[in-house]
Amino acid sequence: MAEKPKTRPGGGKLFYIPGGDTITRIDPWWGLVALVVVAAVVLVTVWPDPFWNILVFVRGGIIVTVSITVISFIFIMVLGLLGGLGRLSRNRVLRGFASLYVEMVRGVPLLVQLIWWYFAFPVMIHAVGKWLDFSFMIEYQANPIVTAIIGLTVCYGAYMSEICRAGIQSIPKGQMEAARSLGMSHFQAMRYIILPQSIRVILPPVGNEFIALLKDSSLVSVVAVADLTRRGREFMATHFNPIEVWTMVALIYLVMTLLSARGVSWLEKKNRFEE
Amino acid sequence: MEPIIHIENVHKHFGRVHALRGISLDVYKGEVVVIIGPSGSGKSTLLRCINHLEEYNEGRIVVDGTPLDDTKNINVVRQEVGMVFQSFNLFSHLRVIDNLALAQRIVRRRTREEAEKIATDLLAKVGIPDKAQAYPVQLSGGQQQRVAIARALAMNPKIMLFDEPTSALDPEMIKEVLDVMLALAKEGMTMVVVSHEMGFARAAGDRMILMDEGQIVEEATPDKLLTSSHERTKLFLSKVLNL
Ligand SMILES: Nc1ncnc2c1ncn2[C@@H]1O[C@H](COP(=O)(O)OP(=O)(O)OP(=O)(O)O)[C@@H](O)[C@H]1O
Ligand SMILES: [Mg+2]
Repeated sequence: MAEKPKTRPGGGKLFYIPGGDTITRIDPWWGLVALVVVAAVVLVTVWPDPFWNILVFVRGGIIVTVSITVISFIFIMVLGLLGGLGRLSRNRVLRGFASLYVEMVRGVPLLVQLIWWYFAFPVMIHAVGKWLDFSFMIEYQANPIVTAIIGLTVCYGAYMSEICRAGIQSIPKGQMEAARSLGMSHFQAMRYIILPQSIRVILPPVGNEFIALLKDSSLVSVVAVADLTRRGREFMATHFNPIEVWTMVALIYLVMTLLSARGVSWLEKKNRFEE
Repeated sequence: MEPIIHIENVHKHFGRVHALRGISLDVYKGEVVVIIGPSGSGKSTLLRCINHLEEYNEGRIVVDGTPLDDTKNINVVRQEVGMVFQSFNLFSHLRVIDNLALAQRIVRRRTREEAEKIATDLLAKVGIPDKAQAYPVQLSGGQQQRVAIARALAMNPKIMLFDEPTSALDPEMIKEVLDVMLALAKEGMTMVVVSHEMGFARAAGDRMILMDEGQIVEEATPDKLLTSSHERTKLFLSKVLNL
């Protein structure tokens, strides 16, 4: 349960009570969250024009950004778990597929992947549809939000596969052997012994992935998704005030990422105290 | 009488290492067999072959009438064979009570109440009834190993395998674990024990086996083996007993 000092800025010592219960200690990073929120509130209330107007204008974009991030993340975790298990599978074909997927996806920039899913993938579907004479494929229309979710999921799923693989591999071999020696099947041992223990290991990197995804989701603005970034650009196109718009957009992203970081560290603590 | 474990000319290779070189051994119901031998002689490998944690390359193992050559039989055999490891291997994310109850429920299909009742009784038997709600990290090594023994017993095995159960323990904790094992031997459990605890071997062992370089060098009652005139046995024992 050793406390990692690196997550503690200078003032942290003031809050530290030797031998005190770590749960009741206030995490000084909340100070930063408060600071950013206060800054945003001050801007919005003191100069409602343009800051309040910007906030109202991009409101829908915030919802889109959060929804795309959360929905993609659910798929990413499923895909990552499957990919991680695939890379560790004894089945050579499965292992080959999983490795190929991870290595290929990690070698292509996310922006290029998103553009590929939005512009190249539908054309490919049309071509195949024509060849097979499937009308539903010929009429396939790329929905920007669905495309964005697919693109983010496929890309981040590869990184998540590696995190899951490393997490599963970090569990001592003796755990699997003990489970098997009690007569559990390989599946049961994974389900009841290995995966629950891996969760504690992978939680920090998974949390980082979530935050990275939240930020990288701004890239979907290039494929016609009206997310926070795109709404910011639209506002600027009509009002020509880059400083105010992009400061406000940056602050909104910052509030979201800082809050996520707090959520992640809360989850980590909660998991650690179960020991 | 049919042996409960029948091992016939078993060979095991790890790549270029020939870890088991034609081991044949019969263990009868209620017997306690103690295996000794230098590091790397294949003691663990032999034990792990008996419940198929390790696959062997050649030969034949039959446990309680079930041959280990068919993969379908393996989970059946594993339910009959309990194993205790040097490093305890308790499930670190589960409380002691759940360490004991989990496999009973998902393998033996007992209800939660049944499983926890059996677990509680076994914890009392190994002398730590008050630790049911603790997590493994909160226990001493000796307590962890006793939980590990109880966890294996909860499956009602017919055979118990012990791989150096006390060699990771501080001296003052060795006795509490050996006492549990002695009691188990007295109850008539069939046991195969890799251990260099000579006191235990004398008190509980029906037979003692010295392994070296993947082979059985000598096999006798503990008293006979410990006073053997066999050169390799004498050499090994002089090293162990001097330690
Ligand atoms: N998984 C493995 N991969 C490769 N070689 C192995 C493996 N397990 C054991 N060996 C080798 O097989 C031989 C027998 O090992 P084993 O663990 O059975 O010895 P042991 O008698 O139990 O020794 P110790 O007293 O050190 O536990 C050794 O040479 C060892 O290096
Ligand atoms: Mg060994």
